[in-house]
Amino acid sequence: MALLPTRSQLRGREPGQMRTLDPGSLSQHIDRLYRSAWALCGSREDAEDLVQETFARVLKQPRMVRGDTELYYLMRALRNTFLTGRRSAGRRPQVVAELHDEMACDPRPMGQPERALEVQEIYATISELPEDFRLAIVAIDVLGLSYREASRALRVREATITTRLFRARKQIAQRLCSAEDAPGAREGNGARGVLSEGETS
Amino acid sequence: MSERRPRTEQQLVELLRAIDAPAPERLHRHVEALVQGDSERHRRAPRLPRPLLRLGLPGLAALAAVLVVLLAAGGGSGGFTLQQAAALTLSPARMPAPPLSRSHAGELTANVEGVAFPAWERLWRLRPTGARLDRVGGRTVRTIFYAGVRGQRIGYAIVGGLPAPAAAGAVSWRDGVAYHLLSEHGTSVVAWEREGRLCVLSGRGVSASELLALAS
Repeated sequence: MALLPTRSQLRGREPGQMRTLDPGSLSQHIDRLYRSAWALCGSREDAEDLVQETFARVLKQPRMVRGDTELYYLMRALRNTFLTGRRSAGRRPQVVAELHDEMACDPRPMGQPERALEVQEIYATISELPEDFRLAIVAIDVLGLSYREASRALRVREATITTRLFRARKQIAQRLCSAEDAPGAREGNGARGVLSEGETS
Repeated sequence: MSERRPRTEQQLVELLRAIDAPAPERLHRHVEALVQGDSERHRRAPRLPRPLLRLGLPGLAALAAVLVVLLAAGGGSGGFTLQQAAALTLSPARMPAPPLSRSHAGELTANVEGVAFPAWERLWRLRPTGARLDRVGGRTVRTIFYAGVRGQRIGYAIVGGLPAPAAAGAVSWRDGVAYHLLSEHGTSVVAWEREGRLCVLSGRGVSASELLALAS
């Protein structure tokens, strides 16, 4: 079946050294993964569940990772767990959070209420993006992967990541600005975002 | 957030990267407990022998053949065997092929417990031609059949139920996932787990390495 191109042709991958994932090294990524999950879900509570489920899956069996860092692998696992969970949730009846669930939330999200609101607004904006854009900006800007790592994690070409990231940033800026310009929003300076060339206001 | 609202791409990136919200303490505790439990389990469990990973595909195929013979002699567990699932991938279709998913690019609408079947027409020029649904050893097995432009016929089965039945055969690791290679009646079979479900891929007119490429 010569019709099948090689994987490296398809994804532009370069072969890297494979090594066994060290479970002990995973704890250092909890905070970054949590922020990524928060931006994906738009909710701190869902992010907690998602991160926990992701680690449970990763630790279920020995894993091999490529290169020096396992972060791209965690991003891929996070993405897969997120997509699977969302599909499953679509088939289940919705459960409305009850008062004791809300009370059970972490009492010290960041110690700064206004900062927490700001982060919540930004991540909520990201979570409203189309799925592909959301994953790209989470991988690059929230988790901090390189373009190559992100393409590996999301299984798309680097050029695709670049395009999606550009569009994601543009949409976020537009949404944040439109929220600011909306009636009742706090006073701004009236200037439009200059995020991209050719962007029309 | 008005004062900090990003006006340029650079400002937006800086703002996103400056967020340092920590994970809740209880999440740290949960993950630490998972890692600790994993370490305990690995101390007790034997590791995969490294020489196996260094075997080439021919070596793996030969080893797979030996393991298939051993497995056939020993039988499966719980009334389900990998050979049964592999046989289904070579069986005739009984239902029409599922359509492409509109909401998830690269997937068909058919799935088993949320694990969707891939759409390979655009990438590999393999179009879905049919499907079947069986019950083997108390487990639901859904199979989708694909056909290639050169007459290849591939069956992709996903076995429902958790935990996934154990897969035998030589192991090839790709991106952290173990792909089990074996041979069934002279036909190559690849078995692996996706989101906890056993997947089995086999076909006519395709080699083991091509099946591996499709699977991974």
